[in-house]
Amino acid sequence: MKVRYLVAGLLVAMLAVAASTASGGTSRSHATKIVVWLQNDAQNGWPDAVATANRLFKAQHPDVDVDVQYQSWGTHLTKFDAALAGGDAPDVIELGNSEMAKYMAAGAFKRLTQSAFPNNKTWLSGLKASSMYNGKLYGVPYYAGCRAVIYRTDQYKQAGIKGTPKSLAQWFADGQKLMKKFGKNGGYSAVYFPGKYWYAAMSFVYDYGGSIAVQKGGKWKGALNSPRALAGLNQVKKAFSLSRASKTGDEANPQQSLVFSKGSVGSFWGNGWEWPYALDTKVGNPGLAPDMGAYPMPSHIKGRIMPTFIGGSDLGIPVTTKNQSLAVDWIKAFTGTAAQQEIVKGGQIANTTKLLSASKSNPKLAPFARAASSGWFVPTSPNWTNVENGNVLQDMLVKIATGRASVKAAATSASNQITRILNTGA
Amino acid sequence: MASVAESGYIPASRRRRFSRRRVGQTTAPYVLLAPAVAVIGLVLAYPLYLLVKMSFQEYGIRSLFTHKGTWIGTANYARIFHDGEFWHVVLRTVLFTAACVSLTMVLGTAIALLLTRVSRFVRIALMAGLVLVWAVPVIVAVDLWRWMVDYEFGVANWTLTKLHVGNFVRHDWFANPWSGLGVFVALIVWGAIPFVTITVYAALAQVPKELLEAAAIDGAKPWSVFREVTMPLLTPIFVILTSLSIIWDFQVFQQIWVMLDARPSSDYYTMAIYAFHQSFQISEYGLGAAIAVVMVAFMFVATLVYLRQMLKTGEVY
Repeated sequence: MKVRYLVAGLLVAMLAVAASTASGGTSRSHATKIVVWLQNDAQNGWPDAVATANRLFKAQHPDVDVDVQYQSWGTHLTKFDAALAGGDAPDVIELGNSEMAKYMAAGAFKRLTQSAFPNNKTWLSGLKASSMYNGKLYGVPYYAGCRAVIYRTDQYKQAGIKGTPKSLAQWFADGQKLMKKFGKNGGYSAVYFPGKYWYAAMSFVYDYGGSIAVQKGGKWKGALNSPRALAGLNQVKKAFSLSRASKTGDEANPQQSLVFSKGSVGSFWGNGWEWPYALDTKVGNPGLAPDMGAYPMPSHIKGRIMPTFIGGSDLGIPVTTKNQSLAVDWIKAFTGTAAQQEIVKGGQIANTTKLLSASKSNPKLAPFARAASSGWFVPTSPNWTNVENGNVLQDMLVKIATGRASVKAAATSASNQITRILNTGA
Repeated sequence: MASVAESGYIPASRRRRFSRRRVGQTTAPYVLLAPAVAVIGLVLAYPLYLLVKMSFQEYGIRSLFTHKGTWIGTANYARIFHDGEFWHVVLRTVLFTAACVSLTMVLGTAIALLLTRVSRFVRIALMAGLVLVWAVPVIVAVDLWRWMVDYEFGVANWTLTKLHVGNFVRHDWFANPWSGLGVFVALIVWGAIPFVTITVYAALAQVPKELLEAAAIDGAKPWSVFREVTMPLLTPIFVILTSLSIIWDFQVFQQIWVMLDARPSSDYYTMAIYAFHQSFQISEYGLGAAIAVVMVAFMFVATLVYLRQMLKTGEVY
């Protein structure tokens, strides 16, 4: 008999333990900390902007700590999903502008009041558009970035290249000159172009008048197998021949600017921050400073600039947060003029047009600001992130780079997948 | 027990149904089992129930924080069964598992047999090596292998070039999925051999020497001795090791995931990666759950074989 009581008691105890752990964590009276998720670009490129924001925030809320946790692009959405489900999502999160729509459509962010934020009248229009869903604001523009060709001026000179290329044909000819001069070194790349670098590859598609997908009558259709897109992709295949980067790798693993800093790379498509990062005293090579330059990638039409991906990031406040007003205050500090000036110094374009002239007058930023005059953006569907995360474009490019499929076959298969993914749930 | 029932004799103590000793005897095993059952219920049965439930729902990002999905019946299952890529992934996973398991078993057994023949010193050295491999955490092992097959600085490329096997400078092992999956087979077999070897070696020690000697005296060649004497005695062990290996290799995830920077291309999708991809990268958690349930069903079959053998083994001894 006793044993039965023992069993019953044991079960009750277990249930009690389970119940108490389930109800734990709901009682939070006073916040002593907010958690911010930023991408590691901020850590590498503009740590001073983060420091400035934290200082301003701390002055306002001396008893609240800011825990900035750096994430990487490949995995941050997975972690965010898991954190949302587990109820411990951050109070502020940075999302790429192409990632916003999916989460705004799902109602994952708190609605924000535009007038509460600094410089809200002069936000870059592209970034502002990526922060809005159905006419309502769910994000705050953080920074914009676009890519230009970052190159070794000394190597260009030694290969007999005069000036920077003004057309795609000339760009290819220059690349071949570089390969001829330095290519005997088996590891040399005239253009470091890893197989999965889709931001760079898609620029060729848009330059030839193609696009990733088109919208007709409310339905999306993958367009990478259109004749124009194929013309662009054929040029991508040709560009791969100037590169000895891994055909299955991407631009972040290893970090391409650091590969560049090791010496056997003539040029690469990089963001503004990747220039100073290549010169970093710890991981880069400061000795390259006098031999570096940048120019906007030329179009196949002489004298024009190839469209570049207008990238950038926005900051959102997940609906699960209990510290909304603190989160708003931190975002205000981080997107205000003082912190934004640090971002410009780090090589990126600020979120406000007020600081654009500062970028254009800086010789290290001017090529990027000029490149921004001609841009493209991903299809504006809430499902777009699933194309990005589904590795659809990356897989297509790897097939093209390794020659495992013809350009047309790879593009057709990718296009069909894009059509299917973009129309899911529509 | 059977003989008691046949004889019709009922011991006196049985009539006193609530004797303290009897209650203790019958409940004690349950009490001892209770914590294990409770733990299994908490960490296995309940999540499995949630998984099955989710597989019948449309469960997207919004569901993550509202904790509510939309019931859509078997639509998720219909979708995966009509998806050509799913069957591709299943086939790849089955072939991959078959390659890993057969190589593990053959090499593991061969090394175990070798261990019985070598000198004490070599045996200890070999055992120490095996235990070290077994002790290396998966993630660390993957990082080690990653360095070995690295595109630019990998020691595999360097060695093969130095040995004049061919020009492996900047050879990309993952450009071709066959060679890429080959690397993973090697990595997994390498990690799995120690367990198989040590278990088989221990089992070999149980094979009576007299039987082997008798067979040898009768003129049996070493291979025949192994096949006719050793193998039959070790069959239960082999069945258990094989089914365990199938269970482990069928759900391979971390190795591929970590080696390929958390972004494997679709050529490297095994069922576990495919389920994760549908859930966390495409945010279709219901669909991912359906794939996971199918995977659990596959595994269940392998487990049944294992359990049957366990029970049989229990009967024999």
